[in-house]
Parts: sequence; C-alpha cells; structure tokens
Amino acid sequence: MLVLSRKLDESIMIGDSVVVKIVSIQEGQVKIGIEAPKDVRILRREIYDEVNISNVKAAKGSKDAATKLAKMLQKQFPNAERNAQKP
Amino acid sequence: MKWKNHQFGEFEFDDDHVLTFPEGIIGFEECRRFVLVNDEDSRPFHWLVSVEEEGLSFPLIDPRLLIPEYAKEFGAKEDSTVLVVATIREDVERSTVNLRSPVVISNVLRTGKQVIIDSDSFAMEYPLFPSTHQSVKG
Repeated sequence: MLVLSRKLDESIMIGDSVVVKIVSIQEGQVKIGIEAPKDVRILRREIYDEVNISNVKAAKGSKDAATKLAKMLQKQFPNAERNAQKP
Repeated sequence: MKWKNHQFGEFEFDDDHVLTFPEGIIGFEECRRFVLVNDEDSRPFHWLVSVEEEGLSFPLIDPRLLIPEYAKEFGAKEDSTVLVVATIREDVERSTVNLRSPVVISNVLRTGKQVIIDSDSFAMEYPLFPSTHQSVKG
C-alpha cells in the first residue's frame, strides 16, 4: 500500500479525475473531501464489506428453500401478483 | 445461447435478454452478464443468474411487496426496475432482504447495477417475517 503524509487542506490526486483532500483533523478523526466523476463508486469500506458478506450469503440461497418460502409469502402477500413488477 | 446453472439446469436464453452489470455484483465483480429467470415454483422471487459462472445466482424480490413506497424513497428512475437481494436461509422464516443495496436495472439499456444507499434507514437484513424474526432473536 502506498502511504503518503498530508497536512490539513493538502490533497492527493488519483488518476486524472479523483482528488482526495484533508478537510479537517480533530480528535483522532480525519474528514476527507473527495472529488470524483459520478460513475466512480465511493464507499465506506465497512459498508462494502457488509454488502459483500450479505451477497455471499444470498448466493447460497437454494431454489428449494425459496420455493418453500414462496408458499409462505403468497399467503402473507396475496396481492403479490398484482403488485409485482414484470421485469 | 445455451447455458447451465447448478440450480436451474440447462436452459436457453436470447442474447437480447442478457443484462450487463458493468461493475458486477458487489463481491462478485468478475461476473458481468446475467439473465433474470422467473421460476414459477419460487414466485415472487426472481433469479439473477450469471451466464458466466455456473454456480452463481441471486434470489431477488420486488421490494414493493414489503414496502410499497420503497423505490420512491430512494429516488429510482421511472424506466428502471428495482429489486432487492434476498438471503434465503434454510430456516426460511428467518430469511431477510437487503434494502440497503438494491439491484437497479435499466429497462432501456439492459444494464444493471447494485447500488448502495448511503443511509442507515435502509436495513441490510430486513426480515421477511418481522414477528418471527424478533422472537427468534430475542
């Protein structure tokens, strides 16, 4: 990992279009400002990790369990057919 | 095209029906091409089935079944389809859906993206059966 030291109000460029700036440093917390094109996903790492874990679990979902669950859901949401989107 | 999936066996799909996820699904970034399979037996679930990796599929569900205003709340465009990823557990009553990172499909471009909503008000593990889930937990 590349490690750079920066002071308050200094910034780092990543590629041509991403600028990361140190906005404030206070009591063990650093505020960071980021300028990036709209299509660049910017996330807190822990959120990404949580979604990742959630997706890994979801990918294990079996069709058989889903079928069982579907029967219960059809009872709980009898209007499912009417409301459901047709993708 | 012909494809085989570990859950759905062999099936054929039309190239026009392929959904391209330029960034993949979070944690599965290498898989970009999927088809949406509507399986009669497991309705109202839809299945996002990879056509690059035989063992990969995600059960999705229309969030409006659970929260009628969901798509509006997070500001989805009108020409898009919003589905949420379901985590179906063997103990099915404890199954949850991920409201925090829905799959948004552009109906026009046939592209998809898993977005992450930057707000704690959307649960990552929203129970499909709230009362049961709480009693199991507590």
